[in-house]
Amino acid sequence: MLGEFEYLLITAAAGLGDKAYGAAIREEIEVTTGRRCSIGALYTTIDRLETKGLLKTWMSDATPQRGGRAKRMVRVTPKGVQAAKDFYDAVTRVSRGASWVVNRTGRAL
Amino acid sequence: MTSTHWPLVEVAARLLERHEREAVLGDLLETGEGAWRGLLDVLGLVVRRQLSLWKNWRPWLAALGLALPGSLLLMGTSVCLSLTYQRLLGPRFLDLIPLTQQDELLPWLSQLLLLIGCSWASGFAVGSVSRRTLWVSIVSSCLPCLFCLARFRVESLSRFCLLLFLAPAIWGVSQGVRVIRIKLGPSIILAVSVTVLMLPTWASPRIYNLALIWPAWYLVVTALGDGRKVERSCNGMR
Repeated sequence: MLGEFEYLLITAAAGLGDKAYGAAIREEIEVTTGRRCSIGALYTTIDRLETKGLLKTWMSDATPQRGGRAKRMVRVTPKGVQAAKDFYDAVTRVSRGASWVVNRTGRAL
Repeated sequence: MTSTHWPLVEVAARLLERHEREAVLGDLLETGEGAWRGLLDVLGLVVRRQLSLWKNWRPWLAALGLALPGSLLLMGTSVCLSLTYQRLLGPRFLDLIPLTQQDELLPWLSQLLLLIGCSWASGFAVGSVSRRTLWVSIVSSCLPCLFCLARFRVESLSRFCLLLFLAPAIWGVSQGVRVIRIKLGPSIILAVSVTVLMLPTWASPRIYNLALIWPAWYLVVTALGDGRKVERSCNGMR
């Protein structure tokens, strides 16, 4: 089972598609959650997920807008997609009946 | 990010692996993060990386199993060697040694070779077991050295006699960091040599002797393991 931050990272990377790399994923997480995401947390989690086979990373070519520095590109593997789906399903199931859950019509259940 | 603070961030990023340094510095440049925040981010990642290394047994073995006890024991051997040397030569030169004392020259030479062999093997093992935490192993080795240097009370000897083991140990560390594994043949020759050289002093506490020679035998074990891996991969290719 994924952790909360792992799920956020995988979902952000999946949403960015071919443009998923360190800074973009970080910005996506910060904008979505409204919380600061440290580089340390980001890169250690990427490593952990890659070790588990949920992500694949590689270094892109250097680009001038980053001072000639390469990006660490990220792609979610099919196993990663399945793990994120499992996490989402579990959260959805466990949340049924919770007072803060809003139904599709916008009313609290 | 201000140009004056950027070199500080770059210096901190040197503690990261090359690819990771590239990615992190590029991310910081792209997002235009503040200098101190960027520095904290880089240092945070460095700390996380260092801490994650300690989940493995290797840094513990290198720092607490090899560097710390090894430096203590080798300092003891260095002092023994210096005292024997002093007793043999006194103020005179080698060519003036009386014949009776020349009988003691061979044991002294074997002690010298033992010190060199054990120091090199310990250094090599420390360098090869955990390269990325080498600085912790160095600190683990320096602490007992500083303690003993401060408390050294043998008036006839310079306190720097304690550090005779350092030169071969540093040589071993530099080899260990670069080579990682010694070949089986040389490792067996080294381990057998230091064990044979140890035999005349076997009367002294045995745990001391074993602690001195075990890094050399550890190198044999790692070389054996390496040989088996090569053999397995060759069989797999057939």
